[in-house]
Amino acid sequence: MPILEVRGLTKRFGGLVAVNNLNLSVEAGEIFAMIGPNGAGKTTVFNLVAGLYKPTSGRIVFDGTSAYPVRDFWQTYLPPLAGYYTVADAARRAIGAGPLPLGLRPHAVTKLGIARTFQNIRLFSYMTALENVMVGEHPRMHAQVWDSLLHTPYAQHEERRVRDRAMDLLRDVGLENYADQYARNLPYGSQRRLEIARALATEPKLLMLDEPAAGFNPQEKAQLMGLIQEIRGRGITIFLIEHDMKVVMEISERIVVLDYGEKIAEGPPQKVRTDPRVIEAYLGKSA
Amino acid sequence: MRGGKRPSALGALSRLREIELRGLGAAGRARNVPYLLLGIGLILFPILDSNASHVDVAADAGHWILLALGLNIVVGYAGLLDLGYAAFFAIGSYAFAILASGQFNIHISFWLLLFASAFIAAFFGLVLGAPTLRLRGDYLAIVTLGFGEIVPRVFKNASIFTGGVNGIGGVDQPRLPPLFGWNGRFGFNPVPYYYLILLIIVVSIVLISNLRNSRLGRAWMAIREDEVAAAATGINTVTTKLLAFALGASFSGFAGTYYASKLFIVTPETFTFSVSVTVLVMVVLGGMGNMRGVIVGAMLVYFIEYYLLHQLPGWIASASQALNIDFLTKLDIGGYVQRSTSLIFGAILVLVMLLRPQGLIPSAQRKVELELGTTEEAVADLRGSA
Repeated sequence: MPILEVRGLTKRFGGLVAVNNLNLSVEAGEIFAMIGPNGAGKTTVFNLVAGLYKPTSGRIVFDGTSAYPVRDFWQTYLPPLAGYYTVADAARRAIGAGPLPLGLRPHAVTKLGIARTFQNIRLFSYMTALENVMVGEHPRMHAQVWDSLLHTPYAQHEERRVRDRAMDLLRDVGLENYADQYARNLPYGSQRRLEIARALATEPKLLMLDEPAAGFNPQEKAQLMGLIQEIRGRGITIFLIEHDMKVVMEISERIVVLDYGEKIAEGPPQKVRTDPRVIEAYLGKSA
Repeated sequence: MRGGKRPSALGALSRLREIELRGLGAAGRARNVPYLLLGIGLILFPILDSNASHVDVAADAGHWILLALGLNIVVGYAGLLDLGYAAFFAIGSYAFAILASGQFNIHISFWLLLFASAFIAAFFGLVLGAPTLRLRGDYLAIVTLGFGEIVPRVFKNASIFTGGVNGIGGVDQPRLPPLFGWNGRFGFNPVPYYYLILLIIVVSIVLISNLRNSRLGRAWMAIREDEVAAAATGINTVTTKLLAFALGASFSGFAGTYYASKLFIVTPETFTFSVSVTVLVMVVLGGMGNMRGVIVGAMLVYFIEYYLLHQLPGWIASASQALNIDFLTKLDIGGYVQRSTSLIFGAILVLVMLLRPQGLIPSAQRKVELELGTTEEAVADLRGSA
């Protein structure tokens, strides 16, 4: 059963088509990789799925939830205006333009069960490693403003529980010794692992890793592959972008190849590796 | 996972450190001694210092501290540059003045309105915060600056409600039941005001530190550090930012109520842009995001701006007279100083920021955490090699 389904996804930035009519589906429990030359639109796909961008057109279906409901800021906070969108939607459908851009806001996507890391590490620099992971627990916490303000027994209890769980997650990625260090003071490799721990803290069903092995030495890469396998072992589906072919070919079960925003190949590593179009995309046309 | 769970000795160590950080361990208790002494000193201050004007200065400094603490939530924790904080101070003051004065002959109890105006200020924090949600940095600052200018102007022109330029006079004073031979009336006596603001500040410090160490406080700091990552981590940036504006504003509601009742009168001229800037200076100078720093910054800036610079010309004049040197008296240094107080204030600010760009007390906590981090790492290394 696919956990993530992308149908006819298109994203235009002005005249540039970053993603063009992309179809792909990620099966629950697999390690699925997306590769392609620089500028192929891989990170754009991640940003679309994560709700950071709104698609120009297309559908994203996650875990049986039909297309993300059409909601943006004004629709969420000014319900009367939502009527406008329904009308506009119907009008666009009538002329064959398709519904208005879809998309939950990023935090709501995370709440649905999609967590991600970033290509250029984005940690909370002046918060400790432990606090970074505790922020990840935010969507699963229930303390309200009054609980926070008055430090109620409920908030204290939840705070202790969350702290312990965050500590466990740090231990899982091997960072327990850095718990009280500011995230910015961590070595590069540890920062990457901290980002994974923070993403795991949101209790995702799907974990999207954007070039997790970038800048790693062979030993660190081996460690990372072990970690990814472990995470999958917990029943979390992995969707990753990676440039390092050794890592990709070794751990992923299926690979999709993007070039100029379009899918040019899909399948198991052995098949993709020998696909002439993939070789062409990476090495250029042979004379 | 990788390599399984570490032996529990390390876990115990980290738990110990957590307890220590919360200030419950022996070391934590030792660290609290200076605060205890400071507390006793503050309580005894009006009794030991019989000069009422000193107590009055301290009581006035109090509401600035409160304002700085409130703005610190918005600027220091959530990282939203607010240049119009005086608007919320104005709203708090006017809310109290309208509901407790002869203006409409409404006289609601001070103690009730202390909280009511905090709620009103918080509500306007939401209202004024909402349009700024999509803005960042400089752009946000400009919009808040606009609000800071609009709000006092509205109070100035809505003269049916606010008495226009003249403001609202004869604002009610707080009253308590008579106790210890004191009739319970606050009147012009600064001493009860001093204790009142001390109590409000202590309660505010407790509440704000609760916030800082909570789910909400972490969400604020996450937004300050990286808004995109915060959203991707499941934080609703809209509501979290609005809560920063609302809760930050609520403390200026306390300050406004206190200020209006102590001064008897509220006028629109009080809440100028310079008030917003002064509070911001207090926060930045003291150390954004650090409550201790912000309090010290507020006291220092208040002391310089409203005491030192007012007294300095007089001191210099009397000093030159006492020295009885004709040449010095003729030079009229005191007069020069009086005319250049803003220059001196600016020079002091520039000097402080050059010497301590991170604020007066920026990183005490950071240092503690770093030291503890490294010792624990060393212990772990020892364990690993053994």
